[in-house]
Amino acid sequence: MNENMPIPPQIPLPGSAQQFAARQAEPVPPPPPFPGQRPLGEDPAERVPINGIFGVVEAVLRQPRRVMYQLRQPGAGGLIAGMLFASVVCGLVYGLIIGSFSGHEQWWAAPLKFTGGLLVAMLICLPSLYIFAGLSGSTARLGEIFGLVAGLLLLMTVLLIGFAPVAWLFSQSTDSILWMGFLHLLFWLVATAFGLRFLDAGFRQTNARSTAGLKTWTVIFVLVVLQMSTALRPLLGRADTFLPAEKKFFLSHWGNCMESNEGEARSHR
Amino acid sequence: MNPPPDHSAHREFSTLLRGEAEALRGWLQGGDAQRLARELAVILVGAGCYGAAMGWWRSPEQALFVAIKFPLIILLITLGNALLNAMLAPLLGLDLSLRQSLRAVLMSFTISAAILGAFSPLVAFLIWNAPPLTTGTSHSVAYALIKLTHVVVIAFAGIVGNGRLLRLLVGLAGGNRQVAWRVLFAWLAVNLFLGSQLCWVLRPFIGTPFLPVQFIRPDIALQGNFYENIFQTVVQLFRD
Repeated sequence: MNENMPIPPQIPLPGSAQQFAARQAEPVPPPPPFPGQRPLGEDPAERVPINGIFGVVEAVLRQPRRVMYQLRQPGAGGLIAGMLFASVVCGLVYGLIIGSFSGHEQWWAAPLKFTGGLLVAMLICLPSLYIFAGLSGSTARLGEIFGLVAGLLLLMTVLLIGFAPVAWLFSQSTDSILWMGFLHLLFWLVATAFGLRFLDAGFRQTNARSTAGLKTWTVIFVLVVLQMSTALRPLLGRADTFLPAEKKFFLSHWGNCMESNEGEARSHR
Repeated sequence: MNPPPDHSAHREFSTLLRGEAEALRGWLQGGDAQRLARELAVILVGAGCYGAAMGWWRSPEQALFVAIKFPLIILLITLGNALLNAMLAPLLGLDLSLRQSLRAVLMSFTISAAILGAFSPLVAFLIWNAPPLTTGTSHSVAYALIKLTHVVVIAFAGIVGNGRLLRLLVGLAGGNRQVAWRVLFAWLAVNLFLGSQLCWVLRPFIGTPFLPVQFIRPDIALQGNFYENIFQTVVQLFRD
């Protein structure tokens, strides 16, 4: 079926006729510099529109290039909204697993904090990614960059759902906050690595001349999410207030957690 | 059917960020008021947002003041040195008119302001996570980290902005990198000279916890200068 699909005509750049003619006179951006890079849409399967939430999830897992291609088409807003919706649902489900460790108010607080934190971290980091993309020579619009980050978020949360049974089993069989924190961090890092691979592949399709900016942004994004987990603490364990009264950087918080865990272990001995 | 015009704004912004010398050279020739307005808007919004994030640690009022001061400094440097920059360029081998040199400097500041604006949510997040600014905080790790972040972000924005300006100057100098470097250094020197003094006059930016929040410190704003202060610090170091 896909083989018979006609190749869509090139979408003309918007603007008035004069602007369009003037743009034609401007230098054409260089082709993607990464060797072995196939242009998006070359495979007819990539041009098949993505429908429904399950379609979005399946596409981001199995056909990431199809998602990248569709993000460049008119009406990509629906796809982005779908990816964000699916990310929120997956985030809430994984948040429930996190909350199951402590129960009580964490049944609702942990999903809310986990999902909200990821979304806010994404929004905080989005402008810098757009600027880094532009500085790297990318021709991507803010919408396309937003879509790629939404794809990163979706892939991350979907993979976390895959880890959820394991995380739930451990959360029911241990009392150690430190151990559970380490486990969730490990799962998040693995999921993020896959999400970032998607983002990197998408970034390379935007005429970017180098990925140095993306690498810098990756460090920033990881730091922001780690700090978000400290700013919204506790995600594991219980507290009197929804948000912490004391401001801390995540490394200092982790240090304190380890110290208190060592103290607990010593008192048990 | 005419598609929405915002695409053209995006395209121009993208061209500016990529520093496409060929296209930017064309921009210097024409007097497109709309494009100029867009560049000014990027400076006002980008540098303004960064200034707000910087001043927010002290108080919301300080955030508002720094949001005004940051773009103001950029515009004052651009206008204050316009004549000098336009004179230096031909003297150093690059035939540019006053309008062309002014636009070139403004373009580089636009790129820097866009970078600052993009980093402002990150800086705001960092400040939200920092303990409140009190007398004790001003000697803490958090204070040092925030100061260092500002230095890194502002330096990065400045380097990228000037890197793009250099690319444009090389194009304007017909590929003569020596002339382009000479002009860039001269412009940088005079801009830094004026800029540091403007920052001195318009201080505070982060704010001091035990002093009131003010737009400028009227009692000390025009006392001494940036370089005099540095000189005194160096002298003090050697004396101690």
